[in-house]
Amino acid sequence: MTISKTEIEKLAKLAKLRFSDEELERFTAEFDEIIAFADTINQSIEGGTEQIRNVGARMVSFDDLRPDEVVPSLPNEKILSNVEGYNGFFSVERSKK
Amino acid sequence: MRARISELAKRLRSREISAVELTKAYIDAIEKLNPTLNAYVHLTFDTALKAAEQADQMLKEGDAPLLCGIPMALKDNICTDGLATTCCSKILKGFKPYYDATVWEKLKAHGAVLLGKTNMDEFAMGSTSETSCYGAPLNPRNTNYVTGGSSGGSAAAVCANLAVYSLGSDTGGSIRQPASFCGVVGLKPTYGAVSRYGLIAYGSSLDQIGPLTNSVMDAAIVFDAIKGGDKRDQTSVDYDYGSSLAECLGRDVKGMRIGVAEEFFSGINAEIKSKIEEAIKLFERNGAVIENIRLPALKLALPVYYIIACAEASSNLGRYDGIRYGYRISSYTSIEDMIVKTRSEGFGDEVKRRIMLGTYVLSSGYYDAYYKKACLIREEINREFDAVFEKCDVLVAPTAPNTAFPLNYKGASPVEIYLSDICTVPVNIAGVPAISVPCGEDARGLPIGMQIIGKRFDEATVLQVAHFYEQSAGKVIGDYEGGAGI
Repeated sequence: MTISKTEIEKLAKLAKLRFSDEELERFTAEFDEIIAFADTINQSIEGGTEQIRNVGARMVSFDDLRPDEVVPSLPNEKILSNVEGYNGFFSVERSKK
Repeated sequence: MRARISELAKRLRSREISAVELTKAYIDAIEKLNPTLNAYVHLTFDTALKAAEQADQMLKEGDAPLLCGIPMALKDNICTDGLATTCCSKILKGFKPYYDATVWEKLKAHGAVLLGKTNMDEFAMGSTSETSCYGAPLNPRNTNYVTGGSSGGSAAAVCANLAVYSLGSDTGGSIRQPASFCGVVGLKPTYGAVSRYGLIAYGSSLDQIGPLTNSVMDAAIVFDAIKGGDKRDQTSVDYDYGSSLAECLGRDVKGMRIGVAEEFFSGINAEIKSKIEEAIKLFERNGAVIENIRLPALKLALPVYYIIACAEASSNLGRYDGIRYGYRISSYTSIEDMIVKTRSEGFGDEVKRRIMLGTYVLSSGYYDAYYKKACLIREEINREFDAVFEKCDVLVAPTAPNTAFPLNYKGASPVEIYLSDICTVPVNIAGVPAISVPCGEDARGLPIGMQIIGKRFDEATVLQVAHFYEQSAGKVIGDYEGGAGI
């Protein structure tokens, strides 16, 4: 399978990434090899794969979940201590006037 | 002679040395060697000395835990309240968590002394630690070679005696492979045995925290301290291991059923194969029954691993947007532009590659062909491991198909580097425990590691077999001369 630059650009948009032309060139070539490698899962398993159809059937029981109770949490000031210039809000530069 | 927890604990209790003196010896060694080895990326000497003073007080009062006053290190993806934790990524530059990971909370309660945070591949994605934004750590046994990865700094710090023990994380071999490359012991516990709360996520269904140490006994001591269920990690299990695992070591392998699967040996370097075969003969001479078994689905383990790990990573790393913490680009035209530019500049190439692969296998039209199929094959791999462990107590395999790569090795494509994880990823896919112990050196004097793999929550047998090997095989690798002179 060969992946095109356009497809890479579409994926990059989904992943919120951007590549320069030079990066895109290199990345497309590498990605082709990586996808070929991922494609090897389509090799057959000895003895077939009939017995492996039940995946997804393993459900979490509601009994396994913890009770929905409010517990103490960390103070906002501490949680937001990594935000530069925190003043009670997440702030970013104004981008539209 | 490298430091052992059990020996140092005795010396601390006999007052031959104090925790402060011990900590100062390690600080001196780090100041001398770290500029070359680059094992640590953040140093916490001030807090270490305060913790050592408190440890001395605990020791004076008596009844202190074994790890009290022992200087140690944490991988840079384990959260430490108020102390830098950056996953060795530009995107988390300056990030100081506001809570402790459960493992660190537990070790602090044991009186542990944290010397610093160790170097690693960016977001634990890599096999050489060269994707770190701080530059690669060097292998103390030969500084022309890599430490392995992703917990390369943790392995180098223990190897060079710049920490008595360290914690790493293992998503596809990231504790065991660097342990193998640096000639130390590395334990990847059962998935769920150790809380992941506070471990910055890569592949959440595969990640597990574990110790890197200078002996199997030390690995058991640290595992005893960090294991256990945690309400804050819903995938953790409060498994009843009975007594301390460290106290159970010392049994032989007579009658033990040791499995050998040919799939683990395909494409393995001849010197490594021969050392593992020597170890298997040692087990056999001591009464173990060697069972030749098959794990046919193992040949699909690597692509399955990369599909699942990258899918989870693309989701986990979606949180880095430059708004709430970490790096933010200075110039942008809109919020979208800010997020895209921040991520594109903040993440390194390997992280971007894995986010892109993860996005691809989860995207419409490819989900069934890749992600869903990988999950189906994962079930098959689990089933094969379960069947094998009905016949065997443990499996023995190489830890890696090769010894350490030369630094800046340019001959390999990303996929060729991925192939070096061939022996370790099946263990993460199945969620079983495994340890890497040194079992010899290659012609260049680089260490070789042997992997002992067990049933889920049977760390006891894994540690017992590894301990027996360590005690019986004698000296299998040369000593590292240097580090803290204690």
